[in-house]
Amino acid sequence: MPRRRSVLTTLLIVLPWTILLTIWHQNPATRYLTILRKETYENSSAKSLQFLINMTKIKEEQHTACTHQQEVTPAQQTARRYVYSRPPGWSRWLPTIYVITPTYTRPVQKAELTRLANTFLHVPNLHWIVVEDSPRRTNLVDSLLERSGLNFTHLNVESPKSVRIGLAKDSSHTPRGTLQRNLGLRWLRENLILSDSLEGVVYFADDDNTYSLELFEEMRSTQKVSVWPVAFVGGLRYEAPKVNTAGKVVGWKTVFDPNRPFAIDMAGFAINVRLVLKRPWANFQLSGVKGGYQETSLLKELVTIAELEPKAANCTKVLVWHTRTEKPTLVNEGRQGFTDLKVEV
Amino acid sequence: MTMKMKMKLKNVFMLYFLVSICGLMYALTQLGQPCDCTLHSRQSSDLVHSRDRTISRLQGELKRLQARGNPEGPPKPALPTIYTVTPTYTRLVQKAELTRLSQTLLHVPSLHWVVVEDSPVKTSLVSELLKRSGLPYTHLCTQTPKDFKLQEGDPNWLKPRGVEQRNLALQWLRENRGPSDEGVVYFADDDNTYSLRLFEEMRFTKRVSVWPVGLVGGVRFERPLVERGKVTGFYTAWKPNRPFPMDMAGFAVSLPLLLANPAARFHLSAQRGNLESSLLQTLVSIEELEPRASNCTKVLVWHTRTEKPKMKQEDALILQGLGSDPSIEV
Repeated sequence: MPRRRSVLTTLLIVLPWTILLTIWHQNPATRYLTILRKETYENSSAKSLQFLINMTKIKEEQHTACTHQQEVTPAQQTARRYVYSRPPGWSRWLPTIYVITPTYTRPVQKAELTRLANTFLHVPNLHWIVVEDSPRRTNLVDSLLERSGLNFTHLNVESPKSVRIGLAKDSSHTPRGTLQRNLGLRWLRENLILSDSLEGVVYFADDDNTYSLELFEEMRSTQKVSVWPVAFVGGLRYEAPKVNTAGKVVGWKTVFDPNRPFAIDMAGFAINVRLVLKRPWANFQLSGVKGGYQETSLLKELVTIAELEPKAANCTKVLVWHTRTEKPTLVNEGRQGFTDLKVEV
Repeated sequence: MTMKMKMKLKNVFMLYFLVSICGLMYALTQLGQPCDCTLHSRQSSDLVHSRDRTISRLQGELKRLQARGNPEGPPKPALPTIYTVTPTYTRLVQKAELTRLSQTLLHVPSLHWVVVEDSPVKTSLVSELLKRSGLPYTHLCTQTPKDFKLQEGDPNWLKPRGVEQRNLALQWLRENRGPSDEGVVYFADDDNTYSLRLFEEMRFTKRVSVWPVGLVGGVRFERPLVERGKVTGFYTAWKPNRPFPMDMAGFAVSLPLLLANPAARFHLSAQRGNLESSLLQTLVSIEELEPRASNCTKVLVWHTRTEKPKMKQEDALILQGLGSDPSIEV
């Protein structure tokens, strides 16, 4: 009897420590802590960032696994997955630019995303959120993003057929890309924690436009919403906000409906990410939006025209072009297809 | 053991057990919290200083990259240089096209951009863009003879485009490069899309290397047919009986081969679709072509074309004398 009791007591003594040790070794957070203690601050800045990132990633996954936070509504089927791979030029102090790009499958998609990635690879602290208009994430976009070396998030949500066929002219239909952009905003709201130290800017970049590198440095300092000219929109060489001598936006230099509250193109503004998180109800309106009012439907929830910050030398320089790519004429494919479908284009 | 000692021991055990369980619970709850220890450490002033230092260092890097437009040519690099010849002409989307092309080319090491304008003089738009691009470049210009220039409303295939400009680039190479220079010449139009891998595929070309091109010839892609590592034919739906039925973006010529053939050039008189053949016929035979891109099974370049922007409102304003400020460059 005493023997069993002594065994029992030994067990009780050892048990808490074994539990502690196993959990301590398994949890990456503690690995991070030990490494941080070992190295100096300067040396560890890169490595600890990586570990911090790994830790947050694993924690996120554990969190979602354990708590079963509410998944998307049945109407919108999304699959999400994100990878933080170390991008070129990541500084701890630059505000992150979150670029939301809606995209859809068509012959020029891979080309468009390739040259867009080539542009983004020059921009430090850029996080690319690609949202496919598709029921499932496609391999084409998946492998392109993995190979690019950028920080990215790959999401998808399918638009209803009426939107995809481009019936946007009818005011009761959703303009193209709306659902996808809203999903991008939703991802930001669910994955970033609002705090005073959170710095970042949200920009909606369509996959066929052209962006100069200077544009990204202009938008990085956005406090609320910043604006700038955009070329080749509204049937003009460029549209621009009207800026008075005091450096405030007072109107819009545009011919097409200049009395819109925000007569600006999607590529002509950026929003501070804290503002996006503070107003979780602000989204692009899904239906009942007149042509040209999509940007207004979001911006009116976020700022007034007086609060807009003009960039690009008080809106006198063109740093983004609303280029559109021609649809390639695949006439020689014929009905049965001429080229091997296994080769990805 | 006496009773009293036993009790004491029991208490000690109980106490120990309780303390260790509490400690364990505490440690587990701590591990579950988001760790923002780095964010806390941001508060100290010496970290703010290091932030400022990093910002100024990055700004310096940015300025350095922007200023780095070396027109004289780089010192002899270890890698063979890729001479990218881009003919261009003034139109609304020119600045946008050259901007995004330069952003792609800036990733490629040992690349020399030869930009040839279809213009009697070098325009300041292109000059400034090249200076700011950060690439080693050569800026040339020559005007297409009037008879061969496309008129407004002509379909773009009616007359061959960029011929004189590409030939001028070839002439520049012959005058400025010698037999000891290694390199490869690639004709890159300003509206196509190039993946970064393409440039590494073409870099080590002995004579002429070839690969598939996407979205051209009315099909998803055109490509050379390869058997046992040799090109045996071409997979194309449009005019497959041309000597070299491929697109300008689908081949690269080694610099020594060009210099060894001083008469090789593109011919203005070439029939529609035969521009590439007019050059390649004098340089190689099909058997000598070097297939790239995994034996010509991967598409690494796309023949994208950019729409002409609609200027309906601009034209209306110009009629009223209220056109947009021409000093703002687009």
